[in-house]
Amino acid sequence: MTSWTVEGVESRLDGFHLGPVDLTLAPGRVVAVLGRSGAGKTTLLRTLAGFLPARSGRILRDGIDLTDRPPEARGLGYVPQGLGLFAHRTVERNVSYPLEVRGRRNPVAQIRPLLDRFGLTSLARRYPARLSGGELERVALARALAAEPELVLWDEPWQALDVEARHDLGRVFEELRETERIPVVVVTHDPGLAFSVADTFLVLRAGKVGLQGDAATLLTDPSDPFTARFVGFENVYDRASLEAGRPGSLASWLSERAGPEGVAFPRPVTQSAEEGSAGSWEAVVRGAHPTPEGLALTVRVDSLTVAVRGSWPGTGPVPSIGHRVRFEVDEKSVHPLGGSASRLRSSPR
Amino acid sequence: MSAGRESARSRRPRRTGVPWLVLQLVLSGSLLLLFLLPIYALFTYAPPSEILAAATDPAVDSALYLTFLASGIAVLAAIVFAIPLGYLLARRTFPGRSIVEAVVALPVVVPHLLVGVGLFFLLIPGTPLYRFTTAIGLPVYDTIWGVVLVMVFVSAPYTVLAATLSFRAIDHRVLEAARSLGAGPATAFLTVSFPLALRGIVAGLLLTWARAVSEIGGILIIAFAVYPGGPYNGPVTSTISVLVYNLFQNGNLADAAAVSSVFLLIAFALFLLVRLGERSGWVPWRRGDLLP
Repeated sequence: MTSWTVEGVESRLDGFHLGPVDLTLAPGRVVAVLGRSGAGKTTLLRTLAGFLPARSGRILRDGIDLTDRPPEARGLGYVPQGLGLFAHRTVERNVSYPLEVRGRRNPVAQIRPLLDRFGLTSLARRYPARLSGGELERVALARALAAEPELVLWDEPWQALDVEARHDLGRVFEELRETERIPVVVVTHDPGLAFSVADTFLVLRAGKVGLQGDAATLLTDPSDPFTARFVGFENVYDRASLEAGRPGSLASWLSERAGPEGVAFPRPVTQSAEEGSAGSWEAVVRGAHPTPEGLALTVRVDSLTVAVRGSWPGTGPVPSIGHRVRFEVDEKSVHPLGGSASRLRSSPR
Repeated sequence: MSAGRESARSRRPRRTGVPWLVLQLVLSGSLLLLFLLPIYALFTYAPPSEILAAATDPAVDSALYLTFLASGIAVLAAIVFAIPLGYLLARRTFPGRSIVEAVVALPVVVPHLLVGVGLFFLLIPGTPLYRFTTAIGLPVYDTIWGVVLVMVFVSAPYTVLAATLSFRAIDHRVLEAARSLGAGPATAFLTVSFPLALRGIVAGLLLTWARAVSEIGGILIIAFAVYPGGPYNGPVTSTISVLVYNLFQNGNLADAAAVSSVFLLIAFALFLLVRLGERSGWVPWRRGDLLP
């Protein structure tokens, strides 16, 4: 069981500056790295993996400084974007590669249990070009584990997978966390995956750590529009779009509660026209589709498009395009964004 | 909507497809015809009996032997020198890389008679290079080394270009995966970069070989006749291209056609063999490919 400490690591790539990043990785911990495209997520993984030199800071494994070690001497399982599988090697020879380059005897025989565990035994002699997206992900993970890594770095798994394959891989991922107890740093754009496997979140904004903490931290204080959308706020507005609203409108009401980067609030529930209370807003339905949680409605209030939830199935007619509905925005559910963006939270443990 | 109109509509794509197919067949067929007709003319001029006679003629055999030996050495030289240069151009950035790339393309664009003249002046008796090559036992005038030298000059660029493109096409993330899985830079090159680039490199080596055996311009000047020495120890001879040129110039048209036919048959058989090997998938450079 190894622990990793990343202390004030900074790196640079073609004018892009990453860091400083601080991270602690105990066994079994999973850190999800979030952020827009170009925020520095892959740069962070490549720095940890040793493909980009750290300009400052240290990377420690159980207190041993690995900062200046080459990638092959860090004890990592790095799965790059696109998986980095070897097209000229069969599944079994992809997975046995780490043993082969270490000069182990009978590498293919040694990885049989691993193939078995990932359901790859029947595919052992196939080449990657003949596998599906989900199978390829399993090969990449099995190969990374064959290296007996002390830390797994995974860049955007789940990229082009169907719903079922995502689910299966989510289970594999949880097993990695619970039975292998290997710490994992995972870059992802998928909130479902991030929330099901990660216990710490690190949000990067233009190379800087914007927010770091657990899921509750992200939900109670999303801090910027990207994080707000990522954690599931469907109503996210920047300041400019709110300030255009006339006095007394929803936009103007929200702008009074907005932070420097705008505001976010979850889907409010619609009310019927009769039960509309004094503080409610009247809106026109622009779109509607059913979901397991009810009817997802897109409505228009003056200049704003708002996502709201209607009860469905329920009594009365289903609101359709052009119908008028009312909804109320709970003031407590409105989060100002950007007000505390510079604040840096360390992870709880 | 009536059923008749429905079926007329469903036929429409087929009608527009036919002229398109005809156009493709006519255009590619014309080019294939251009390739095949001169060969047909050769074979009609030289009946099978004469081709057989040419194939068993010791003079022709030694010319064939010299040509394959020299071109084989040229391909080996391309493997040793051109692949590393291709890797360098693909993977490293350095000042003057564009100039190096232009220099690599130079032998392809320069008329090859000029190459021969250039090498002639470079290696003329009295020059330091002449003294050097003679001193180390690699004289070039009228020896197999001269043939090899010209062949490498005109043909190695094809391997450099193919290797550059092939190495450049490899996703750097595949190499990073290999490194993080425990492979040092040299191991990653041997186990990942090289095998992945091999298919393109082999295509380049085939072009290099083809270009080498077809060379005549430079060889006419540097090694018109080849005397025994070095790896070649047969009778005085010349490359097949020079031999055919000589026969033709002296009016031995039937012999020229027969010798050409022998060489064409061998070259065609070799290329066919490589293609069949690739199709059947037993060659190492096509492993993992989806294409036939």
